[in-house]
Amino acid sequence: MQRVIERILNLLAFLLTVGRPVTADEIRHTVAGYDRDTDEAFRRTFERDKDLLRGLGVPLRMDFTDRWQVEQGYIVRPDEYGLPDPGLTDDERAALWLATGMARLGGEAAGPGGILKLGGGALPPSADPLSADLGTDAEMLGSLFGAIVERRRIGFRYHDHRRGVAPLGLVHRMGHWYLVGEVRGETRTYRVDRITELEVGSDRDAFTPPAGFRASDGFPDAPWEAGQEDVAAVVRFTPAVAWWARRQLPADTSIADQADGSLVAHIHVASTAAFIGWLIGFEDGALLEGPVSLRRQFIAHLRSGI
Amino acid sequence: MSSARTAERLARILAMVPWVIANPGATVDEVCRRFGYTRGDLVKDLDLVFVCGLPGYGPGDLMEAYLDGDEVVIDMADYFRRPLALTGVEALTLLASGMAILSAGTADGALASGVAKLAAALLPDPGVIDVGLPELPELGMLRTAAGNGAVVRIEYMAISSGKVTERDIEPWRVFSAQGNWYVSAHCRLAGGERIFRVDRIRRASVTGDRFTPPAVAPAAEVRYTPGADDVVVRLALGPGAAWVAEYYPVRELERTTESLIIEFAASDPATIARLLLRLGDQAELLEGEDAALVRSAVAALRDRILARYR
Repeated sequence: MQRVIERILNLLAFLLTVGRPVTADEIRHTVAGYDRDTDEAFRRTFERDKDLLRGLGVPLRMDFTDRWQVEQGYIVRPDEYGLPDPGLTDDERAALWLATGMARLGGEAAGPGGILKLGGGALPPSADPLSADLGTDAEMLGSLFGAIVERRRIGFRYHDHRRGVAPLGLVHRMGHWYLVGEVRGETRTYRVDRITELEVGSDRDAFTPPAGFRASDGFPDAPWEAGQEDVAAVVRFTPAVAWWARRQLPADTSIADQADGSLVAHIHVASTAAFIGWLIGFEDGALLEGPVSLRRQFIAHLRSGI
Repeated sequence: MSSARTAERLARILAMVPWVIANPGATVDEVCRRFGYTRGDLVKDLDLVFVCGLPGYGPGDLMEAYLDGDEVVIDMADYFRRPLALTGVEALTLLASGMAILSAGTADGALASGVAKLAAALLPDPGVIDVGLPELPELGMLRTAAGNGAVVRIEYMAISSGKVTERDIEPWRVFSAQGNWYVSAHCRLAGGERIFRVDRIRRASVTGDRFTPPAVAPAAEVRYTPGADDVVVRLALGPGAAWVAEYYPVRELERTTESLIIEFAASDPATIARLLLRLGDQAELLEGEDAALVRSAVAALRDRILARYR
């Protein structure tokens, strides 16, 4: 292990200081640790070393070594290599480390890699009783995150179709991750667990996100807010379920408390199907007072099943 | 030689070196504490850095790394003065974890400012990542109670019956799964382990009683354990009801172009009745042992709701 680490530190020191793309051949004859290898052994060793560097997050890229574009070489740009210092205090680092131990992304808690890069810190105390499960596919999310930050176009398979998207943001809602992207000037949302065969474009800054973009804008606060309809529903909830209704209604809903403990809510509905499904959960604890058309739809729905 | 261990060791060196350069006079204890080193391992890594450097590899080309008394010294390593950028997974994990714990509303100020600084340094726009877990007033007190073994009295609305009961629980863990918060606990009313959805807890207060938490708390996950008395039905789901197979722990039996046939189990026929009314013509109840029971539960619930519209 010792020799591998020495060789890679030498390689990285060379790439960070040489200031131009260098060929594999130049690396072999310049960097200590490769000199005694045969051609085949060098090729294998160098491949492994490159994988190791990329795995750590080293931005090892290819570029032409001359302006005639005959030969390609390897380059690590110091500005891409370095982590911009966020200026964290020890308390903030400790809080972040504790939080990464409490959240699970990809089925398990994160390793210390990120925190060490940020300057390390004392290991958090024993496990906290609070934890949050943030879904499974950390690799896919990491790749999407990289594309969003570097503004690279992406392509992927979704519902059996190939899509080309300018990735703008990631949102976690109701147990799922969503990618928000732009296709021909329109914002689209994709469930990340349904994205497969992701390809990330090679050009940085390939698009300009809309000014003031926020991934959460337009994201529904309740299932019935996702849709194209525009209905103002009035619902009366009995005193027994009033607290439960209040808890689920979006913050901007107009709610009137009644003297008997019941509650009348004016709710904006964009998907009547989702809204009716939610109302049925209250059984006879909710009375849809209006509008008449929605009442009819509600009663027809109740009678439509078995 | 394991390449994972090589990568881990290299990652720690590439994190430790910039920190020591940025903090001249750092002590051995401080470096060990921050980066999880033993003194022996730190000395080994410094010795290794000491023999590396730039081509030429003479005394003027190699890095300097050694202990001077109690002080860690690294010099001639200007190219490693900045820590390596975070990978996409590392950056997202830090940000998303921080945002998730923050959104639960139980964290202190250091996490909020830490996430804000990280977002400012790593994101082109602060709004590109958004993690929202439901913020519930009881989360903080349940977390504290689970941490110090305090018995909590809750008013809880059962998912199956919709009835509110009062019970004393010994909370073990508070966790989110599929976008909902749960608390796993020993329920003194039921006399066994139960998992409660936190948003269905109407009120919660500590009773003053204490309990000894189990040495190993069960995994923080929602499990459905089928019981012998469960009601089991087969349902044919249309496209508008396909979400049921993702949302509930069901068994998929058959998939055709028009429908998906599943087996759905619940401890109470009312749970299935409510679901069927909700799905309307998008679900069909197939014949089976418990079908009649569920059918009458659906009819009773439908009548009860429609009675309010007469």
